[in-house]
Amino acid sequence: MRLTFAKAGVVVAALAVLGAAWAHGPTRQKVRESIEIDAPQAKVWAVIGNFQDMSWLAGVAKTEGEKGNEIGATRRLTLAPGITIDEELYKYEPEMMSYSYRITAVDVKVLPVTNYSSTLSVSPAPGGKAKLEWAGAFYRGFPNNDPPPELSDEAAVKAVSELYRGGLAALKKKIESGS
Amino acid sequence: MRAIALLALLAGFSGARAEEAFVTNQLSDDLTIVDLSTSKPVATIPIGGKPAGVAVSHDGRFAYVTSPDAKAVTVVDASARRVVGRVEVGGGPLGIAVAPDGATVYVADWFAAAVRVIDAGERRVVASLAVGASPSGLAVTPDGRLLLSADRDDDSVSITDISAHERRGIVKVGIRPFGVIIDTEGKCAYTANVGSNDVSVIDIATAREIGRVHVGLRPYAVALAQGRGFVTDQYDGKVSVFDLATLQPVKRITVGDYPEGIEATADGKRIVVANWESNTLSVIDAAEMKVIGEVKVGDGPRAFGAFLRRTE
Repeated sequence: MRLTFAKAGVVVAALAVLGAAWAHGPTRQKVRESIEIDAPQAKVWAVIGNFQDMSWLAGVAKTEGEKGNEIGATRRLTLAPGITIDEELYKYEPEMMSYSYRITAVDVKVLPVTNYSSTLSVSPAPGGKAKLEWAGAFYRGFPNNDPPPELSDEAAVKAVSELYRGGLAALKKKIESGS
Repeated sequence: MRAIALLALLAGFSGARAEEAFVTNQLSDDLTIVDLSTSKPVATIPIGGKPAGVAVSHDGRFAYVTSPDAKAVTVVDASARRVVGRVEVGGGPLGIAVAPDGATVYVADWFAAAVRVIDAGERRVVASLAVGASPSGLAVTPDGRLLLSADRDDDSVSITDISAHERRGIVKVGIRPFGVIIDTEGKCAYTANVGSNDVSVIDIATAREIGRVHVGLRPYAVALAQGRGFVTDQYDGKVSVFDLATLQPVKRITVGDYPEGIEATADGKRIVVANWESNTLSVIDAAEMKVIGEVKVGDGPRAFGAFLRRTE
């Protein structure tokens, strides 16, 4: 499985300046990926449904956070020493097996996006299987006009698509192999 | 007798809804025109450059569409449903508004603290107005004298005297104002503040914020009808409704995912919402405050601006 976040060896420059975190490009991007998993919905939800545990995603070494699954709960994903992503939960619907969160701080060298929000949801699929969907909405990493290639709209979509596809495939393998 | 009355009623009903929506689909790079009387798309026009903002002239002749990636404004003949012109404006054109007399078009440059002024007849930029940082939504007072710009990165609204080309007021509002709308009397303006999850009410004459209404997450724009404000809450997938007189919340209406552009029909009976993630328009009965229709459009509809056109 290909590592989905940018390589951990990257030298992390100053984190996205707080004031600049709001600025963004003109076009919001969307990525929606899903996968069928041969397991009951409840089992899939049990693996992903805790906002304070993202260990199911390749590349996440540690999840630390506060306020559990309450609205406004926060978590910090550590990918490698000093390389983190901060996120906040804004919608949590266990009866729908769905939750939504947004990134509050990430270096664009780790994930080349800004103003990122995302929803994970489990729904029924034919044959008693479960469908896990991951949908994201975000702007490119470069907030101003005429972005460099690595921070363009295309680069943002590519990075998030790869993250989702890789994450979902690994999760399917993990659940279906019974681990 | 009864049949005639019924026919008259039906005619009145459809007449009241003789309007079209001009929806910018940013990700499919085109414009969908939706007939609101039948709730059917009637045309799709390629635009390019990631179209976002739209403003239909009051006489319904033209729709002006901003394409930030192309740094241009596309002029669409609204009844012929075809592109008739293109104005190179530079920068990052986003918010757009047409003067009530249709002679001038104002375009906000998202990457500069400026609004470009287009002569609609000549279809070229003839002047530039200095405003605050990252101007987003634009609105012109009904008398055509004042231009309001929601200056997103300054947390304020600029009030510019159009004929004097001079900024007369800077109104501090909530955090990151995006959409702005002026009431039909030209008295109050309302901004959707993306960062503080609220709506600011501005008294235009005194250039002061006179009220604040808490709404849902990441409000995008505001529509006015039936004495109420309707606000698209992007992250909630809802439209927040509040009372314009008391500024109290009335209801939250579930629409599609990431609702953005929103406008009331001219008769105030319907509210039309573009759902960016769902690729649909939701039509809301403004009095009943419930969704009565849904129309499929292109990918990533934003419809940021005055996107409805009266056809009769």
